[in-house]
Amino acid sequence: MTGRRRLGLVAAGSTLLAAAPLTAIFESWTWIMYCLVTVALIEGAAVTTRTFRFPTWAQAASMTLALLLALTWIFPSGKEIIIPQPDTFAHFAELIRQAGEDTRAFGVPVPDRDGLLFVAVLGVGAVTIVVDLLTAVFRRPALAGLPMLAIYSIPVAVYTESVPAIPFVIGAAGFMWLLVADNVDRVRRFGRRFTGDGRDVDVWEPSPLAAAGRRIGVAGMLVAVVLPLAVPTVEGGLLTQLTQSGSGAGAGSGNGPGGRINLFASLSGQLNHTTTIPLLKVTTDEPEPFYLRFAIADVLTDNGFGNESPRGGALNLGLPDPRRQAATRLSTYTEHRARVEVSKDLQQNMAPLYTYALGVSDLKGSWAYDQNQQVLYSGRTTTRDQQYDITYLRARYTADQLRQAPSLASNDALMAYTATPGDATVEAAVTSLIKGKTTDYDKVRAIYNWFSKDNGFRYSLATQTTGKASEIADFLNNKAGYCQQYAAAMAWMVRAAGIPARVAFGFTRGTPGGEGTYTITNRNAHAWTEVYFQGFGWVPFDATPAAGVTGSARSASNWAPDVDRPAPTASTSADAGAPVPDSSGDPGAANGPDKSGVGEEQGGTTGQATETTDWTGLWIAASIALVLALLLVPALRRVLVRRRRHAATAPEAPVVLSAEGITDLTVTGETGRARQDAHAAWDELVDSMVDFQVPVDPTETPRVTAQRLVRDLSLTGEPAEAATLLGTAEERARYARQPLQGAELTSALRRIRSGMSGSVSRRIRLRATLLPPSVLLSWRRGMGEWSTRSAERLAGLRESLTRFNPRRLLTRTR
Amino acid sequence: MTTPTWGEPAGPLTSAEFRAAAQAIMANIEQVIEGKSATVRLALAVLIAEGHLLIEDVPGVGKTKLAKALARSIDCSVRRIQFTPDLLPSDVTGVSVYNQETRDFEFKPGAVFANLVVGDEINRASPKTQSALLECMEERQVTVDGTTYELQAPFMVVATQNPIEMEGTYPLPEAQRDRFTARIAMGYPDPRAELAMLAGQNDHDPLNDLRAVTDAATVRRLIETARAVHAADAVQQYAIALVTATREAPEIRLGASPRCTLQLIRTAKAVAALEGRDYVLPDDLQALAVPVLAHRIIPTADAQLNRRTTDAIVSEIVHRLPLPHARNPYDTRDGRASYESRGR
Repeated sequence: MTGRRRLGLVAAGSTLLAAAPLTAIFESWTWIMYCLVTVALIEGAAVTTRTFRFPTWAQAASMTLALLLALTWIFPSGKEIIIPQPDTFAHFAELIRQAGEDTRAFGVPVPDRDGLLFVAVLGVGAVTIVVDLLTAVFRRPALAGLPMLAIYSIPVAVYTESVPAIPFVIGAAGFMWLLVADNVDRVRRFGRRFTGDGRDVDVWEPSPLAAAGRRIGVAGMLVAVVLPLAVPTVEGGLLTQLTQSGSGAGAGSGNGPGGRINLFASLSGQLNHTTTIPLLKVTTDEPEPFYLRFAIADVLTDNGFGNESPRGGALNLGLPDPRRQAATRLSTYTEHRARVEVSKDLQQNMAPLYTYALGVSDLKGSWAYDQNQQVLYSGRTTTRDQQYDITYLRARYTADQLRQAPSLASNDALMAYTATPGDATVEAAVTSLIKGKTTDYDKVRAIYNWFSKDNGFRYSLATQTTGKASEIADFLNNKAGYCQQYAAAMAWMVRAAGIPARVAFGFTRGTPGGEGTYTITNRNAHAWTEVYFQGFGWVPFDATPAAGVTGSARSASNWAPDVDRPAPTASTSADAGAPVPDSSGDPGAANGPDKSGVGEEQGGTTGQATETTDWTGLWIAASIALVLALLLVPALRRVLVRRRRHAATAPEAPVVLSAEGITDLTVTGETGRARQDAHAAWDELVDSMVDFQVPVDPTETPRVTAQRLVRDLSLTGEPAEAATLLGTAEERARYARQPLQGAELTSALRRIRSGMSGSVSRRIRLRATLLPPSVLLSWRRGMGEWSTRSAERLAGLRESLTRFNPRRLLTRTR
Repeated sequence: MTTPTWGEPAGPLTSAEFRAAAQAIMANIEQVIEGKSATVRLALAVLIAEGHLLIEDVPGVGKTKLAKALARSIDCSVRRIQFTPDLLPSDVTGVSVYNQETRDFEFKPGAVFANLVVGDEINRASPKTQSALLECMEERQVTVDGTTYELQAPFMVVATQNPIEMEGTYPLPEAQRDRFTARIAMGYPDPRAELAMLAGQNDHDPLNDLRAVTDAATVRRLIETARAVHAADAVQQYAIALVTATREAPEIRLGASPRCTLQLIRTAKAVAALEGRDYVLPDDLQALAVPVLAHRIIPTADAQLNRRTTDAIVSEIVHRLPLPHARNPYDTRDGRASYESRGR
């Protein structure tokens, strides 16, 4: 029974290790303390019942009881005295309900909320019980991996993009420990382990079987890692990413699922792309549509604005109606319909939408809608080649309406959107800007208006930023940037003024093609600011100068009018056409004064300017070509070898010397050469035999081999003579004083090769040409010898290392 | 006391002369022994290799006839010893007899004092008597009463014996078996040869018509010619490998001796010369392995229980052992390719 008790302890320990992935979920370490206490209690109960040899059901019951007690003590409702009361269970139910709410309300990592902690402890406790039973009672530790995997699946489900690896390693180590402990126990039950010479074998001593297991494990892991990389269809596979990174930032693709992408980098990649790639075609019945929008960045840290993974319900559950929601009911809405046709170049898993979509249809794949971010996203599907219809509401506000919006209370959940890293320059600028403004709207307008030409701001695509907080502050100083700086800077400043703000990403209106159709290219990628007004929801403000943005809708919004428009004095001709969507089709023209900057960018990236799809095709073609080339390598090698040997066997002097009567051994250059020639010819013959799958027998003499060739392949005439000649030549080269000289070995070889190929099947003939077995065999032999050598070397190394191994002393003293 | 009856050798023969002389002997013998040219050739090869021949087979297949025919074909001194159970060593080697006239002991040479000694039914004599042959066969000398007598050169013992399973036989001592260069079996003649034999021996024994076709001097020259045959390093290594394999084979209790290696090479040279080559081939060694090796080795008790004959064991070794410096490292005999891995 000691074995079982020990196994139970190992099970508990490995369950704790397997709970490591939860570190990615919680902000603090409280949960692990709770889990420790719970697991210890459960295992204590298990060990106790096992000591008294309780039946299995009693062990399970005792563990469940221990879990219940632990939960009661850790999460008391205040009414119980040690023993759980009916109120306790009501409290538990309440905690579970809270947990459900918290999962919706909080993003990872979550703070210490009682409900979430309760669920975590309950889960870990349940897993402990199951693992313990499986391991110690049913002796099926491999099955215990399933509940452990269940724990790991929680962060996997939450972090759709990537999951931290180290917790998984810890969990896997726990599982390994469990398996090892069980196996050691299993072997121990047979008695002692000892070697052939009667020495005891320690548990940790390496065995050949274990080495084989390790090798299989490594091979399996390599296959599991390498194979998906090589499969080109797997989305987001390394290969795909590599191919797409070749074309700059890619056409909005290559960003993994969910959200933790760098939206700013993607945007800058789109705008700086050297070619214009049509991404979308939108047909809408709305006369002056606003921007299409697909993502937001709402977390402001030292690294600038970042985005949370969107979370929400499935699209087919329906979308919320803003007219019925308190947060947005004050706006006036008009309903419109639009059809979006996405080209194959826009491959992202966030679908462009107009704000306040009521319904989306015809979208293939599973999509989910984050109400808070107002983002439609998918874990697996992308927008590539999709076509879908949107029914949406366009919100209209006036400046006066927005001015009526009350400020948010300081404890409102939305105040989270006012967090900033704090920067003295920004704070000072904001303070001076909003001085004397009373309403939120006025404050926002003050900040918004500040981003005007009059204040020295100018549009420049040349600005390279990573979106870092410090660079946004820099932007406020040097005042040159493009939409992402404008949007981020304004959002920051509005936040600094205590008003919730975030950065939205999407596309501008695009180039109108008549009848409500707009073509949107990568040049239309855009970012703008959204500010929250109570009763109106998130209201868009686009601070970027309309001059720099193709299809800007800045003039269409009367709550945030184009601040550059009434001041045409300082501007050149580029300014005049700015509010009108660019009709020339050349988006570069709209960039106006900053064209040179773009030109520089283009110069730097022309080498990579190739379409994504072409790259994939090229890769596939290259891979196929590579495989073909690799397949042809043996054939090539065979041809080269044959050519070399033929060159060696080509007769130099046509004199036939007779060896008759020569008794003394004379080694001259000529005889030496004749010997080498005969050997080369013989090697070639043997290789040809291997190629044509004629058995080769190393115990056979050349003479017998030649005879067998003639007999088995029923060679007649020239090939038969050739075989005999080659046999004689090799025999004399090897054993006689005087080798055969001046024989036509090359032509003999050709004859016998043709004779052999004539007497075998077509399949063998083809194989002999394309994949000559002789080359493969000799490579295999080389590999075999190499591995033997390296194994020997390794064994020697290990031998020399054991000299320093303290365990050696242990076995000696025993 | 040496009695060199032959003159000094006149040097090695040319290839054509060698072939002519050998052909004459073989043709002569084949007048008597029908359809056994391979056996005859091997017997001649042993003679040229300065070895001794053991002909082992069941009674009545022509062992004695072969021995006698070989002896008669050569014009040299021939003695015959009929090994009987009561034969004494002194009958073989000779004995010192008291001469009353000279009042001294006088050595009376035994039957071994000849160029060709035909020992018939050698395993019917006791091991004691057989031991008398040990010295003379290897060292070509006889020591009686402290005096050593050289034997004539060349000297060859052609012995016949029945398989030891036959009644009234003693097994040959290992030492003596080792002194025989080759053991050959006659085998039954094929029906055609047997028919020819019936026709030929209808009225008289053709052995009586046999005339010597060569003389001892020519044989010495044959021997000398064969000695000059070239055995390449690879061939010598192969011979050593063969012999070593018998020593290492798990089925064999006693392997072949270094003397055996020497005799193997010598016989192979003789065979090569008989085929008109001036170099030895591994083919020669392979052909000779069973006659030269099989009678010397002693199989283990297990192998004997499994009814494994030494012939089978040796030919299996031949089929297993790769040639030295085989230029082809592949082995695709049994369909699947394998290769010789480097020994550890």
